[in-house]
Amino acid sequence: MATTLKDAVARKPVLATIRLIVPAGAARPAPPVGPALGFYRLNLMAFCKDFNARTQKYKAETPMQVTLTAYKDSTFEFVVKSPPVSWFLKKAAGIETASGRPGHNMVSSLTLRHVYEIAKLKQSDPYCKHMSIEALCKSIIGTANSMGIEIVKDL
Amino acid sequence: MLPLVRPGRAAAPLRRLCRRILLLSSSPQTPSPSSSSSPYSTKISPLLLLLSPRPSPASGGAWRWRGVSSCAVRAVDVGGEAASTSSDLSSPYLSVRIRCRKEDAEVLSEGLLCFGATSVTVDDIAAAGNLDEITITSIYAHGEDVDSSVSNAASSAGLEYKPVYETSVGKQCDWVTVVQETYESTKVINGLWVIPKWRTPPDPQAINIIINPGLAFGTGEHPTTKLCLLLLRETVKGGERLLDYGTGTGVLGIAALKVSCLVLLVYYYLQMGAALSTGIDIDPQAVTSACENMMLNGIDSNKMLLYLVPTNAQAACFPNIDKSEENKPTGGLELKSSKGSYDIVAANILLNPLLELVEDIIGYAKPGGIVAVSGILTEQVPKVEEAYSRYLENISVSEIDGWACLQGSRKA
Repeated sequence: MATTLKDAVARKPVLATIRLIVPAGAARPAPPVGPALGFYRLNLMAFCKDFNARTQKYKAETPMQVTLTAYKDSTFEFVVKSPPVSWFLKKAAGIETASGRPGHNMVSSLTLRHVYEIAKLKQSDPYCKHMSIEALCKSIIGTANSMGIEIVKDL
Repeated sequence: MLPLVRPGRAAAPLRRLCRRILLLSSSPQTPSPSSSSSPYSTKISPLLLLLSPRPSPASGGAWRWRGVSSCAVRAVDVGGEAASTSSDLSSPYLSVRIRCRKEDAEVLSEGLLCFGATSVTVDDIAAAGNLDEITITSIYAHGEDVDSSVSNAASSAGLEYKPVYETSVGKQCDWVTVVQETYESTKVINGLWVIPKWRTPPDPQAINIIINPGLAFGTGEHPTTKLCLLLLRETVKGGERLLDYGTGTGVLGIAALKVSCLVLLVYYYLQMGAALSTGIDIDPQAVTSACENMMLNGIDSNKMLLYLVPTNAQAACFPNIDKSEENKPTGGLELKSSKGSYDIVAANILLNPLLELVEDIIGYAKPGGIVAVSGILTEQVPKVEEAYSRYLENISVSEIDGWACLQGSRKA
């Protein structure tokens, strides 16, 4: 389970790539896990137990991004990544849903300070380590714009 | 207080099972060493022999039935809560198949997840070959606005076109049984197997634990279950009382009762295993599953008790009490009063609950009793050791495949 995705792909034929958002420590056979994995006949309970054990160190119920690689022989591997940027932004801005018409309706605004903090958190995620803080900030600002959150220098 | 409630959902499958057992018991057959007959007959007939000193097979069957209903009582199943979780699982979901260009798949999946999809699946890109377009399957909770989600995702991904998609409604229940077909019989060690209900045991002479997992955890395939089963095999000598904390399918409780049974005893049903197993869990489905598995393995209801405990481990007052005559309000008291009396306590759950419930888990063991905790990764062992070393001595850790099991004996 600890091998990188690149090795995995080179080794076995891949059936599908599944991306999910699952609350930490709370994976159950119900949706979103159930239908997505059940469709490919993957061992649901094994995934739930494994995922829950690995996400014990995070705050419970934080939505974690999981990328599963399902192989043709019904085995699978998965990697757990940090929560999506949109979740961080929503938490920072204190809103529940993003804007329906980004660019036209702005729902909230955040400062560059917020963006920087989020970028630092994202950098601790092993899958974003290769990006510089600047690149991360730019991508976060991009996501914020697509959600209708305005980024200002100072509130 | 843990009032016991008559199970609504548990009763029906149990009754079906009992009818099957009664049918078999009504035609008593001499047990044959060769198991060309179904696994059930070799299990039931020894029981009948045990009962034959009593009046007749018919009344033996009736006794069996009474055993079933008292099992049903002990297995607490709060009807209301069970209904709500099952409605959760059987509510339909929306499955959306979206076609888009290969290059955009990655970005579009990100966007979809951002805007309300609960999961996004991309069929293998390499296999799509020379096709320009591929299909993404996305799953949404029922009632979500798929249209706006897809268009928002498309615009945030920077696509100039709006991808074509089609929606279909999926039902939950089907895939659970579908996945179950893939479960195989698992050999824990020579002479000890865990068999799913729909398979025949490859080695009829071995100790076979028959499990119908349902939605509970514990099919025997997971390394932590194996670790615990091996530990039970070593520590159960005969006559112990076991507590299975977080029982799931009840596999550990059943194993403790069966383990170290001599092979010869197809004719005799002499128990060399533990004297009594108690399983507790916070999930009503686990208790249901454990009760069913108890029946599948022919365990008497006075050998194995099951309790549903509230999530807050400090026993709080359960608000809904069923006033039927089968209700035994003393059940909760029995559990509480049994604190400090178990020879073996096994807890195969997760790191955080283990750390929070240290005192509760240790409290059930008698001084000098063995406490085994699992469901932890090797890297999580130091934390668990630190928390438990206050109460346990002679701590040892066993590992399979990156998963660990920590055991020790309770300090006096």
